[in-house]
Amino acid sequence: MSPNYVAKRLVMIVYTLFIVSLIVFAITQILPADAAVMMLGENATQDALAALRENMGLNAPVWQQYAIWLGHVLQGDLGTSLRTGQPVGPVMFEALGRSLLLALLSIGLMLVLAIPLGIIAAVRRGKIADMVVSLISYAGVALPEFVTATIAVLVFADLMKWLPPTGYVPLTENFASGIAHLVLPVCVISVILIAHVSRMVRSELVDVLHTDYIRAARLKGISRGQVLRRHALRNALLPTITIVALDVGYLLGGVIVVEEIFAIPGIGRQLIVAIQARDLPAIQAGVLIMAATYSIVNFIADILYAWLDKRIQYD
Amino acid sequence: MTDFTKRLLRTPQGAIGLFLVLLVLVIVLLGPMLAPHDPETLAPLARYKGPSAAYWLGTDQYGRDIFSRLLIGARATVVMAVLATIAGTLFGAFVGTTSAFLGGRADELIMRTIDAVMSIPSLLFALLVVNLLGSSTVNALIAVAIAFAPGMARITRSVALSVRKQDYVNAAVARGESSAYIILREMLPNVIAPIIVEMTIRVSFAVMLFATLSFLGLGAQPPAAEWGLMVSEARRYMHLSAGILIWPSVAIAVVAVGFNLLGDGLRDALNPRT
Amino acid sequence: MTTKPETPVLAIENYSLDYDTASGVFHALKNIDLSVHRGEILGLVGESGSGKTSLAWSIMRYLPKNAREPSGRILLSGENLLEKTDVQIEAFRGRRISMVFQDPSTSLNPTLSLGTQLAEVLVRHRGLTRQQAWKEGEAMLDRVGLKTPAAMMNRMPHEASGGEKQRVVIASAFACNPECIIFDEPTTALDVITSCQILDLFVELQAETGVASLYISHDLALVSRTASRVAVIRRGDIVEQGAVRDIFANPQQDYTRELIAAVPDPAHRLVDDTVVETNNPLVRVENVSVHFGRKPFLAALTGRKTERVAGNNAISLSVNPGEILGIVGESGSGKSTLAKAMTGLNRFEGKIWFDGREIRNLGDMDNAYRKDVQIIFQHPDASLNPRHKISEILSRPLKLFGDASHLDQKVGDMLEQVRLPRTHAQRYPHQLSGGEKQRVAIARAFASKPKLVICDEITSALDVSVQASIVQLLLELQKASGTAYLFITHDLNLIRQIAHRIAVMYRGNLVEIAPAADIDSQDRAEYTRRLISAVPRAAGQYL
Repeated sequence: MSPNYVAKRLVMIVYTLFIVSLIVFAITQILPADAAVMMLGENATQDALAALRENMGLNAPVWQQYAIWLGHVLQGDLGTSLRTGQPVGPVMFEALGRSLLLALLSIGLMLVLAIPLGIIAAVRRGKIADMVVSLISYAGVALPEFVTATIAVLVFADLMKWLPPTGYVPLTENFASGIAHLVLPVCVISVILIAHVSRMVRSELVDVLHTDYIRAARLKGISRGQVLRRHALRNALLPTITIVALDVGYLLGGVIVVEEIFAIPGIGRQLIVAIQARDLPAIQAGVLIMAATYSIVNFIADILYAWLDKRIQYD
Repeated sequence: MTDFTKRLLRTPQGAIGLFLVLLVLVIVLLGPMLAPHDPETLAPLARYKGPSAAYWLGTDQYGRDIFSRLLIGARATVVMAVLATIAGTLFGAFVGTTSAFLGGRADELIMRTIDAVMSIPSLLFALLVVNLLGSSTVNALIAVAIAFAPGMARITRSVALSVRKQDYVNAAVARGESSAYIILREMLPNVIAPIIVEMTIRVSFAVMLFATLSFLGLGAQPPAAEWGLMVSEARRYMHLSAGILIWPSVAIAVVAVGFNLLGDGLRDALNPRT
Repeated sequence: MTTKPETPVLAIENYSLDYDTASGVFHALKNIDLSVHRGEILGLVGESGSGKTSLAWSIMRYLPKNAREPSGRILLSGENLLEKTDVQIEAFRGRRISMVFQDPSTSLNPTLSLGTQLAEVLVRHRGLTRQQAWKEGEAMLDRVGLKTPAAMMNRMPHEASGGEKQRVVIASAFACNPECIIFDEPTTALDVITSCQILDLFVELQAETGVASLYISHDLALVSRTASRVAVIRRGDIVEQGAVRDIFANPQQDYTRELIAAVPDPAHRLVDDTVVETNNPLVRVENVSVHFGRKPFLAALTGRKTERVAGNNAISLSVNPGEILGIVGESGSGKSTLAKAMTGLNRFEGKIWFDGREIRNLGDMDNAYRKDVQIIFQHPDASLNPRHKISEILSRPLKLFGDASHLDQKVGDMLEQVRLPRTHAQRYPHQLSGGEKQRVAIARAFASKPKLVICDEITSALDVSVQASIVQLLLELQKASGTAYLFITHDLNLIRQIAHRIAVMYRGNLVEIAPAADIDSQDRAEYTRRLISAVPRAAGQYL
């Protein structure tokens, strides 16, 4: 891995965020929402509205507004919510923290389950275990989060009363209750990820098990288990890093739905509220933070991959 | 063509997938004719009924026949998903092929921009677009198509690039064929197969995305019989009758699994070398 | 056949192997009888699909699930391997019988160091600790002629050359002093000079250890260079076996005779040396250079100067009308790069003069130039569009360069010209054999009646006997049309048979051009001499 590669990836992040900022700004410009009307209400006088527009810089050309907004963002000022009048940044980052907790737990659960499932399916290819795993993965891709979430709430909260149906309790406040509230959301988010990742692990491992070097190792007298552990697994699991990182985009989408259903005050729910209220600065900030999270995760994954796989020499 | 069908039916995925997709197509075409009840007739006395001879899958919170609603809602759900996927694929394929054909710095710029667009989760992207255009079925279609385009562009480009490196394309270039001939006759027939496979699988994503948009109140609006909306409305009444929730969920799952299986089957059947 | 009193190390008796396939049972091996004694090298020669590799898997007991063994025994020092349990077989492999594979770049795990992969065998079979095994491994690498064994142990496969990697593979095959080693085309993936060195190493280690060796190859000439006895296998049958000398001097079977005849022999020229060197060559390549790649990203940012990868460095050569100019060199020497530059597939600097016209860049290559200069590629699988029928593939050049009337008639004629039935026009490429596909590619190149045809390794993906018939076809076409060839190959024996002059390339540079008859003269450049001496002698010289 060369410094060249790291530098290139860093520039890519900056470029990504630049494009995202353009898209976000463009969308919020076309949105049929008048920031001044939103702040002063429908009954405000024309004079008051005009004065506020002038004050907020809404009469300046679009590119100038963009430049001013971008300048503020670069200084860490993500704007003021039209809905609450509070600065958007702190609210969003606090919400991001809760969402990241949800996301990390989901990824953790996914890795713990998906990798062994994928390995079992690949090793016992064509056998019953393989078919069961592939059934699970088809079920996973066939059920959207809102369906699994609703059914999970119905079964485990309403009927069995094992877990609380909705809500969020900070772990620092009451750890046991906090975890209990997270169980269903985490499981729901993981289902689709498990389906996808176990399938990828299976197909990667099947490919690796058919390579010449695995055959060569077997013909040196190394046992099946040892060949799997020492030769096959590391090569098959390396690409999983990239796959998981790309799935983070899907995960963040899933987080939006799940937070909405389970009433978790994460960034997804903040975004839905902002979109429904057409709270432009909040939308801009939320989307930018989501895209940044995705980019940074993928950057880390790529660097990690290049570091672990010494074959890759990027320039 | 018969040869192709035989190859498709040879794998269990292809056979089951084809069966499910054909079943869904029949429902889409004939659903309104087959429906035993009017999907929007309210029957206050027949609410939360279980399955019976009159109401095969029972009735919902307003006493409407669930089976009829599913048959009629198939159009809203499946047709929209297919159209959105096709629109997104065409746009994405155009961008992807152009990028692969231009090559060099232009290719790099286009692809990095697509990567940037893909850093916004597609559900969020769709939410933004629907919100921008106003919530309606057509707008949801546009939103899903736009959300799909970058991913399809990326796939098309990688397929086109690998085809571009093949010696039969080199042979055509060396022969002095026109760009149009090379793209249309040499490259396209070899690029199209993997794209059709990917598109088929993506229809199931589109079904789920649509349902999710409706669920969040940004797609179809009540009293439409869209399946995602049915699940959303059922949520408040699910402890009174689980059927209202289960049946539309099953319908969504059947369509998603069907297109997924068909895509996997097509992948094997379209490979010319087996 | 020489008979020896002691039990053979490896004996295969009346062994048959079937595969269950969707279209019925496939008989991969039929009643095989072979034996290899201590200190002996048995060559097993066959074309692709002959079952030679299946036999190797049978001996190693590494068969796919659909394999059936209806009859026979495989004895290693008298013990029947077919009766051993999986655990026993695992203990045999690598210790009593081991294997060297074709391509060291795929038979070594890319993510484990060379040392780890070598030490692993020693730990498994000789009960050494990891430290002991590592020390022992260094000693082994020294024994297989690697200069810096300690450093090599720590290298990853991608940090070593093909020859170095194959030495490591050989070291692990010899690591536990096995009784028998199977060599499965161990030099096929390597360059000429490297494979010669690997072969020398093999002969030396074999003599030193006396290991019984089964040497599998498609190359009769190569096998006869090392083996004392040869068995010829065809479609699962051992056609003939005996001492090398007997096989060559007095082959009993037609197939063996065919194989021997198909081996190119430089002494046996296939063309007349009647081409006159003129002052008006058909094509003159003048200082043509090709560079690859763009500036690395940081360098572009900082403006630092970087070296671009050169595919060709100022190559100058010419081809006379009706001449066959051979270009030889190892992989990466820039042979194909030049071919691609001349056909407008690579950007180049410099000039190409064709028929008196000057071509400075790709834009100058107009329809007339492309009509006159045609290229045939190495892999017919890749050069024929899998979704086009043969009729469409062959009618394209007619539509582009000639008149498009009576297409069906002309396509049929073209097929006949390359000795294929007219009905093949309605087929798709995957319905044809490798040799047939290459004939279609040749027909396509000749459709426009070109003045120069560039053949880029067009025989190297084909079996020996197919290769011979393709070469014969090319020479007939040349005789009939007077077309000049630029014949790119790594097969020196072949090119010495058919070329008028030979150009030698090395790492993007043109080393020299010499008349084919003088290529083995002592006055040649040092690299050319090394190349010539590394090539296995032709079959005829074993008599």
